[in-house]
Amino acid sequence: MVKVYSTPTCPYCVTLKNFLKERNIQFEDIDVSQNEIAQKEMIEKSGQYGVPVVDIDGEIIIGFDQDKIKKLLKIE
Amino acid sequence: MIYDLIIIGGGPAGITAGIYAARKKLKTLLITKEWGGQMTKATEIGNWPGTKMISGNDLIKQMSEHLRMFEIEIKENKEAIDMDKKNDIFTVRDNDQTYEAKAVIIATGKIPRVLNIPGEKEYRGKGVSFCATCDAPMFKNKEVAVVGGGNAGFATAIDLIKYAKKIYILEFFPEMKGDLVTKEKLEKTGKVEFHTNVAVKEIKGNKFMESLTYEDRKTSKDHEIKVEGVFISIGMMPKVGFAQKLVELNKIGEIVIDKDNYTKTPGLFAAGDITDIKYEQIVIASGEGAKAALAATEYLKGK
Repeated sequence: MVKVYSTPTCPYCVTLKNFLKERNIQFEDIDVSQNEIAQKEMIEKSGQYGVPVVDIDGEIIIGFDQDKIKKLLKIE
Repeated sequence: MIYDLIIIGGGPAGITAGIYAARKKLKTLLITKEWGGQMTKATEIGNWPGTKMISGNDLIKQMSEHLRMFEIEIKENKEAIDMDKKNDIFTVRDNDQTYEAKAVIIATGKIPRVLNIPGEKEYRGKGVSFCATCDAPMFKNKEVAVVGGGNAGFATAIDLIKYAKKIYILEFFPEMKGDLVTKEKLEKTGKVEFHTNVAVKEIKGNKFMESLTYEDRKTSKDHEIKVEGVFISIGMMPKVGFAQKLVELNKIGEIVIDKDNYTKTPGLFAAGDITDIKYEQIVIASGEGAKAALAATEYLKGK
């Protein structure tokens, strides 16, 4: 299960979500600018406020880190 | 394998250079850490001729897709970390490989300037941010600081108004440089305090940022303000360490080029915001990329 925590006006978040869409990776798109509970969840999981944060089956990645994402999702 | 040309950088300058080089049938490699650089932060671009309004992300996506139509080798998510020239051949090293070429174009652009103060790195993402459009929502009802009283700092404060309870704008020089119309808009909100002659010294906290200390340059007295976030908006800086030996830099670290994009080293060219040309615009960077590729093509004919 892939979850992406992001805000609508964050350019790096847009780049990350395009990266996943281009590779038909399904993900839950969580907008932390509106949803305070999700915001707390993201901060607890990642230990910081920066977006984007990606949760891949419990593994947390901060920022658009292509190498880590490719490894965890076993994609190119 | 020796390339005719290596291009370092995936913004408008690098991509345009790549398109021109490929169309001139040069054996070209383009290395870039990411696509677009500063452009991705522009949500509304209204001065790209032929397109009424487009986001930086969409425009750079179109540009990189256009580049991929051509015969050109691309190394993404890689950063050039060292470069040298020996008997007319350049070597460029990235995180895991070394490449050789007869000519190189540097188009690495600029990155946000940092304060270089204690706590700035440790609290990155834990209060320290360089992107208000990304992180402002996390500072709802909190007190924050913006470092930089120019238009970048004012724009950052505008993004924060919707969320933050109080905003301190801290400017190093005696006057705020941002447009007066924006300053008035900020003043009307009653949430913003403007402080000039401020030399920020340290960012403190525990797990997350809690305060920031600064020196008033006029009274040289130290102050501490309780803020949970600091948005650093003090302009951009060039990143060219990897080619330091081969280029001449001006006072602010930009590569000195002539009107045909030659650097001081024959066969080494530069284009876009990384160079000392006066204006920094997407359309100018693209034009400079084309000029650099055409100059490299001519240089290679002589080889």
